[in-house]
Amino acid sequence: MKRKTLWIAAGLAALAVGVTGLVLAQKKYTIVTVVKITGINWFNRMEEGVKEYAKETGNNAYQTGPAQADAAQQLKLIQDLVAKKPDAIAVVPFDPAVLEPVLKQALERGIKVITHEADNQVNTLYDIEAFDNVAFGARLNERLAKCMGYSGKWTVFVGSLGSKTHNQWADGGIANAKKYSGMQLVDAKQETADDAEKAYQKAKEILKKYPDIKGFQGSASTDVAGIGRAIEEAGLNDKVCVFGTSLPSIAGKYIETGAVDGIGFWDPKDAGIVMNKVAQMVLEGKKITDGMNLGVKGYEKVSVTKGPGQGFIIRGNAFVDVDKSNLKDYNF
Amino acid sequence: MGSWLTDKHIRFLWVANLIILGGAALVSRGQFLDPYNFQSMAKQLPEIALLAMAVMLAMISGGGGIDLSVVGIANLSAITAGIVAKSVAAGQGQGLEFTLVFVATALLVGTLCGLINGLLIARAGFAPILATLGTQLVFVGLGVALSGGPAVSLGYVEPFVELGNGSLLGLPVPFLIFAGVVGLVSWILTRTRFGFRLYLTGTNAKAAYFTGIKTPTILISTYTLGGILASIAGILIASGASSAKWDYGSSYLLIAILIAVMGGINPEGGSGKMLGLVLAAVALQMLSSALNLLGLSNFLKDFTWGLLLILSIIFTSSWTRFSFSPGRKGPS
Repeated sequence: MKRKTLWIAAGLAALAVGVTGLVLAQKKYTIVTVVKITGINWFNRMEEGVKEYAKETGNNAYQTGPAQADAAQQLKLIQDLVAKKPDAIAVVPFDPAVLEPVLKQALERGIKVITHEADNQVNTLYDIEAFDNVAFGARLNERLAKCMGYSGKWTVFVGSLGSKTHNQWADGGIANAKKYSGMQLVDAKQETADDAEKAYQKAKEILKKYPDIKGFQGSASTDVAGIGRAIEEAGLNDKVCVFGTSLPSIAGKYIETGAVDGIGFWDPKDAGIVMNKVAQMVLEGKKITDGMNLGVKGYEKVSVTKGPGQGFIIRGNAFVDVDKSNLKDYNF
Repeated sequence: MGSWLTDKHIRFLWVANLIILGGAALVSRGQFLDPYNFQSMAKQLPEIALLAMAVMLAMISGGGGIDLSVVGIANLSAITAGIVAKSVAAGQGQGLEFTLVFVATALLVGTLCGLINGLLIARAGFAPILATLGTQLVFVGLGVALSGGPAVSLGYVEPFVELGNGSLLGLPVPFLIFAGVVGLVSWILTRTRFGFRLYLTGTNAKAAYFTGIKTPTILISTYTLGGILASIAGILIASGASSAKWDYGSSYLLIAILIAVMGGINPEGGSGKMLGLVLAAVALQMLSSALNLLGLSNFLKDFTWGLLLILSIIFTSSWTRFSFSPGRKGPS
């Protein structure tokens, strides 16, 4: 029996040694970025930013995140981090409500907490938003209006009426279109359930109902993909303008064919850099003030407003506009 | 009994735990041994271990016993309890009422869900894997319908938050609750007539039936008990996150099954010990926390868990005894 115990020991020792690979060198600050899920393009792109920041500053900054898309897993990961006690954590919450208790504990333990895409998070020092959502919607609509020649029927889709950001984008677009008397809004805010198939069905219905429609604005990242498919099938690539929030990986092929004319989003790489920079500034005892330049494209003149808790919300102007001409520059 | 060292699964798990503990302490340069880290692990362990315990009971009962609906039960219990408690005891200073109503409702829902599973399996004669796969979908669907999709926010209600976040004499409250449940369930399994009959039913249902054991009643009670355990997990998850949602812990099911199997619970029924389950859960928790402490990828966590399971199968199955100890003949 002893020999077997030895074998067991050997096997597990190998396991432990495998883990030994990385011994963290002590650097100035340890800042951990926690994303919603590891291994998807969006957060791989963010990790590029975190790595760039670490390289430039020499701080021990790295990114982690659950392997499964599960709010409970992200919660456990942060609980482990609170025990580890890094200087700061920068979190992209899967679900802000779930993380309130653990972020509160983190703050109580003296860890600086920065969040991104969570302007309703109470237990954070600074929440970073890439842009003002209403302004983003207006900007998308302005590109749509220009494409439509500032006149004609148009409509806007949302993933769901309950989605705060989608409604802000849609409202921003609707307000912008009112500037032009020729723009006529029809059947506003159709729900697509963040499903490209639903968006496709809705777009077909709209095309049937309004054969003279000239523009679509999408909100869910899947909206323009569904609309684009309907436009392509109807052979209206050159007659109907389609703009919306999406990513090159989702809408790319429709942008190439011209069924979708342009998309807007923000670059997670820049957001990753900004989160870490803000964390460092907090650690150095600096305050982020209205109009400050954070030294990252789109965050040169940020607006700072009071958040729902003790913290503040930082908003940039980090719009990224993509159409056929610059599609190749973005790989996510 | 004295089985705490003679059982080969248990022996493997002791060795595994010691090696993981030693390895983690070494690689983290002692940081792993920080009392706060142990508190954090003790806080995280219970919810998943309770779900695994529910799976364990189903496995012991034999006949292909398994409970795939544990996560669905946990979330449905928490969502229902959240809605009921918020409508009954929403006022200031009603924290105690809120907590009691929440716990009672959750336990009631868990009991009902478990009872449905038991009836489907014992009375309608469904295979457990099919019955609980079906009820899992039903429970998740009910949870979505009741909550409308987004999280049911519970807010910061004392003493409810203490269930998942508080500590007593340096020990996390969820861990104390877990310890109590472990004691109670192992007492049921080893010291009561029901426990004895459960193991008999699991070993050979037909023989048990002909010795006069009402096997359907045993099965119904077992799955009902599983439902109650799942709802306790649901209470702890909801308290830890201050909210309840249909997709919390959606990645937990496979981990719960992994813990049960690694703990030496025979999926064919009739055998399995509580100590094995607890040791397996502790081993996985320590591995997971150690990797987070070292800032290593969460995919490595899945990898090491899988490796540990395979090692446990290799070192505890009967054929390897001969292949690994060629010099010895016969049982040792």
